[in-house]
Amino acid sequence: MKTLGRILIILAVMSLVMGITYAAVNAGGSSSAAPQFQEGRRPPFREGQFEGGERHERGEGGGGWMFGLIKNVGVIAVLVTLIVLPKSIRRKRRRIAAAS
Amino acid sequence: MSEIQSSSKNLTRVKLTVDLVIFFAFLIAMDPRSSGIAVHEWLATAALAALIVHLLLSWDWIVQISRRFVGKVNLQTRINYILNWLLFIDGSVMMLSGFMISEAVFPSLGIKVPVNFAWRSLHDMTANLFLLLLGLHTALHWGWVVDTFKRYIFKPLGRLVSFRRRKDVTA
Repeated sequence: MKTLGRILIILAVMSLVMGITYAAVNAGGSSSAAPQFQEGRRPPFREGQFEGGERHERGEGGGGWMFGLIKNVGVIAVLVTLIVLPKSIRRKRRRIAAAS
Repeated sequence: MSEIQSSSKNLTRVKLTVDLVIFFAFLIAMDPRSSGIAVHEWLATAALAALIVHLLLSWDWIVQISRRFVGKVNLQTRINYILNWLLFIDGSVMMLSGFMISEAVFPSLGIKVPVNFAWRSLHDMTANLFLLLLGLHTALHWGWVVDTFKRYIFKPLGRLVSFRRRKDVTA
């Protein structure tokens, strides 16, 4: 019961955020500014990239998907290094100072 | 070992598993060109359930810091708390914008959404922001990640290797 209540709280807050975003995007009037298309038919994001709901490879060869994955892991690794490394250096210095 | 220690150990193990699942699911979903749009959408939708489990497992911390936030809380915890809220808000917006441009999940459920190009740019923007926030989130919990990996993955593996070696020597 307690868990169900917590799930409902999480979903309620999420719905609130989504509702505010939905209202903000629609109030922005961008839907009226955007070109209109037949209902249910959506043009491709980039010409020739999608067809029948599936995306084409962008001519990057077999390693294209690996590049995307490595890039994302790389971004996270850089951020972790940038934050963790100075912290651990500072901690080591403090330990050395305390020992001496 | 007491019951409390055992349950806390189990909770940490569950947390680690859920976090690893979310992390790898996000990495796969982040690159729809490789996974395909259907996998991208269904995986992201399923990740919503994993995210809820992640929040439930951290519920006590969330409640505790929410109560103490105005009072005495150290800077790192405060930053962590704000960052977590940003992640939650960004994740929710990313999820909504993803649903609004859905090409697999919504059509398969027979749901039609009005076309609006703002959703696509919002989805791209929030996804990029999410990657940055996830990096910061991981960095702030790096100590926990390293400790938990050592305790639940590397140590048992090391024990297993040394046990096999001992077995080979005695055989």
